[in-house]
Amino acid sequence: MGESKDFSEEINRNIEEIQMKVLSGEIALLDLELVPIFENIKDKLDIGNINRYSLAFKKAFQLLAEKFEELKILISNLDKKEGFFQYLKSNPDDSEIQKILNGCWIKPFNIESLSLNFLSSSKEKLSKGKGYSITIEHVDKVITKHNFLLEVPEQKFTEKIMSFYNNIKNKFPCSFEEIFANEQDQIKIYENFVYLLHLLQMGKIKYQKETNFLYI
Amino acid sequence: MNDFTILMHLLSKKVNKYQIGATKEEIIKTLNINNKNESVFFQNFIIQLSNYLRPLGLQIRFNPLGSRWYIAFEMATSDLIFANPFEGKPRLAATLFYVLICCLRNMGIGKIHEIEKLRNKKTVLDDLKELRKRGYIEIDNDLGQVKMTPLIGYQLDLNKLFIKLALKLRQEKQ
Repeated sequence: MGESKDFSEEINRNIEEIQMKVLSGEIALLDLELVPIFENIKDKLDIGNINRYSLAFKKAFQLLAEKFEELKILISNLDKKEGFFQYLKSNPDDSEIQKILNGCWIKPFNIESLSLNFLSSSKEKLSKGKGYSITIEHVDKVITKHNFLLEVPEQKFTEKIMSFYNNIKNKFPCSFEEIFANEQDQIKIYENFVYLLHLLQMGKIKYQKETNFLYI
Repeated sequence: MNDFTILMHLLSKKVNKYQIGATKEEIIKTLNINNKNESVFFQNFIIQLSNYLRPLGLQIRFNPLGSRWYIAFEMATSDLIFANPFEGKPRLAATLFYVLICCLRNMGIGKIHEIEKLRNKKTVLDDLKELRKRGYIEIDNDLGQVKMTPLIGYQLDLNKLFIKLALKLRQEKQ
């Protein structure tokens, strides 16, 4: 990939020229459009040249700050000298005033009939009835001749829980440890533990914290 | 209903003929913000609601004449939606402009004879009556003066207007 041409020097030079002209009184910053300078920096900027262009950006921003200062001075001077009032004394044409007013009009947004009750009920309507309720269905067992990546469990989850429950129900009352005492496979212990939690949640099995005993 | 629903209601409601929206204090009280950083919470609410409204072509504004926050259509769309209440009535708009300058120069009150003198018209009473009818001013016939209501602050971007005017005067000076 070829290196892109460096325009930062050119932009810097352009800004310096503007500053010189402003200092000599040749041009006023208020008459100068700064947007093209910023656009230029933005267009040319990339990760590789960010160091060089940040200096150009700093200088352009300084120019913008000076422009703001100039505007502030202008407005405060006009205010002091009652420039607006003087302008009215010059008897400007109605169409001229219309031109100044154009672009300054605002259309307020107000709804007189908007009540809190209406808003409240609108929110209710918006927040419900969206989409469909989710139903969870068990997957059907299928027989396939081919190798298929998705392994469908032989039993449904609830069936597995109940099968585990039937295996252990004669042990009750007993401790947690006794439930898993004969099981060596770590994965199987995790699996059975999940079933146990479900059984506790379903209320099939109860647990007494003080004695650390499970019972039916 | 949440805080934004209430804020939306407060900012879009018409208080009376001259006033729209709500003051900062009213908003803080209604939203029940009891915190020493209430101004920060207030600003956050305004900014967040503003972000929601922007895609709809709406913006939250502050009227310096009425000290109220309110919702308006974005300036870019105001030309499309007939924002100028003086469309086809340049004379009335110009008289309002004179009233505005005279009132702002004199603590919100303008002398009728001064307006007439500046306007270079024998009388501007008909215009003033029309402006009163539209809710922009109140007329005190006994004292011969007019007072601006906050209404124009909702319909005219005063900052923009004065900057435009300042730039125009500067150009003329040059």
